Amino acid sequence: MEQILKATQLSKYFYQKKALNKVDINIEKGNIYGILGPNGGGKSTFLKIAAGLLKPSQGEITIDNKKPGVYTKSIISYLPETNYLYKWMKIKDALNFFKDLYADFDTERARESLKFMELEEEEKVTSLSKGMMGRLKLTLALSRKAKLYLLDEPLNGIDPISREKIITSILDSYSEKASILICSHLIYYIEKLLDYVFFLSEGRIILSGNAEELRNKRGMSIDKLFQEVF
Amino acid sequence: MEFNNSIPIYLQIIDSIKKDIVVGKLKTGQKMPSVRELAAILKVNPNTIQRAYQELDREKITFTKRGMGTYVTEEKKTINSLMQEISKKIILDFVEGMNKLGFSNKELINTLKEYL
Amino acid sequence: MMTLLKYEIYRRWRWLVLRYVALIIIGIILLNRVASPAYQNEFIGESIGKFIFASLVIFIIVIVEGINMLKEDLFEECGYLTFTIPKKGRTVLASKLVLLFLQLSFWTMISIGFGSILFSKLPYPEIVQIETQINFYLFPTVLFILTAFFNFVLMVHFSLTLTKTLLVNKRYSSLLSTGIFFFLIYFIEKVYYGPFLNQLNHVSIEIGSRSNINLLSGGYPAVFLNIILTAIFFTATAYLLENKINI
Repeated sequence: MEQILKATQLSKYFYQKKALNKVDINIEKGNIYGILGPNGGGKSTFLKIAAGLLKPSQGEITIDNKKPGVYTKSIISYLPETNYLYKWMKIKDALNFFKDLYADFDTERARESLKFMELEEEEKVTSLSKGMMGRLKLTLALSRKAKLYLLDEPLNGIDPISREKIITSILDSYSEKASILICSHLIYYIEKLLDYVFFLSEGRIILSGNAEELRNKRGMSIDKLFQEVF
Repeated sequence: MEFNNSIPIYLQIIDSIKKDIVVGKLKTGQKMPSVRELAAILKVNPNTIQRAYQELDREKITFTKRGMGTYVTEEKKTINSLMQEISKKIILDFVEGMNKLGFSNKELINTLKEYL
Repeated sequence: MMTLLKYEIYRRWRWLVLRYVALIIIGIILLNRVASPAYQNEFIGESIGKFIFASLVIFIIVIVEGINMLKEDLFEECGYLTFTIPKKGRTVLASKLVLLFLQLSFWTMISIGFGSILFSKLPYPEIVQIETQINFYLFPTVLFILTAFFNFVLMVHFSLTLTKTLLVNKRYSSLLSTGIFFFLIYFIEKVYYGPFLNQLNHVSIEIGSRSNINLLSGGYPAVFLNIILTAIFFTATAYLLENKINI
């Protein structure tokens, strides 16, 4: 199995706080990973370092054997928790922007996804509800044929209907050549999607393993296991 | 299909497919949905489906034609023994359940007669 | 970089057109007034004043917008988009600076164009005398002012970027960037231009018996110094954007 991301003893300090503390994570192609943990535990920080927004304090991270930079940004599709689209954009502007800046952006697929998500291209980004924005961000992120998808809390604040659409979309973009990394503290809805899970709290990995094996060994759902561990 | 997240999903999928075959929902020789199709329908990780299919192949309940897909076996024998296996489990579960309630095996048979 | 430049223009194209069309229209209106014989000499001065005012307003808008172009990417949520697209820090910075440069150039042409025509309408015979003297120093002086303001924006960019490298939360960022900026100004004033200031020519232009106009003109050497400063700050800011900032 090929590795797409490798983090070795990765640490990130903010003044005195250790957001990430000597984290080792390997991501292989063709799998869906969950980084689960309480808020503030370091999940977002890890994703941001992989995406190139934060620089490590210590340790190393490589994506496709390269340090975070222009190349890794071109093969990573990052979905942040924030409303990161430029406020002057309409949905069609966002589509065009992604098409212009990412060679692997599939405009056809994006348009189909917009239909599926019931979003209109002429809508201004600032007039979207939380659920609509969540669906739009996911459409943009998953319409890229990236090697690594980093989804930060894709289901937060999403209504149940949008949630089902989002889960379907994530499954749709699964490919043996790519990997998907989902960060969430809402485990119940996504646990059936996950191959492997990492439990991250206070910057450390508490537990990791194959989801099915954990179900077998512990005799409980990942959700339950999470509640036990935290 | 509702899954119990406390038990490995692939096992539940295997059970469900076996049942479908026995009751005839899946006919002998019928082509199974592709891994991706089934994953989308069940909202489950494709690798989990893959694992279930592999296990079914191993038990010779299905067979995979490379490049073409996975098919239900046409061996009547296999399906019969599958039926045996499933019915045996249902019966054993019934007996165990009734025993737990306090029924002895004799009482159990009588009660059963009443219901049939 | 052209792609990013395209979007920098596209997102504000209406404003861009508006401000320059407005300036040109004001210039034309004022020129018309000045050209009509009904107007007396005092009004010419008034018209020049009005034009200068309008021109300054547009100038300030351009400068402030130039600063905000980077500031919003560094300190607001859209930074998550700007710094995850596969473009180098220098490309992101360059796209904004090119637009700034284009605007400053365009503004200069309009301002000098209308300004000089308006100025030449002044009926004082001494004006002709001034004109020839001014023209000699005009070009390098204009270049100097242009490059100086361009550097102003670039230095603010650098201060903001350095702040974003050192601090993570937003709280003291304004304070720190202002501090860094003023330190830079002081440092550059004293160390960079310092030895050079002695050689500046104070050009005195006499208008007959009226006042003297002192033009500070370092000429092309000063412009050259500015360009070097541009290169230094661009490289430094680009480096920080690519390798050091934490969004």
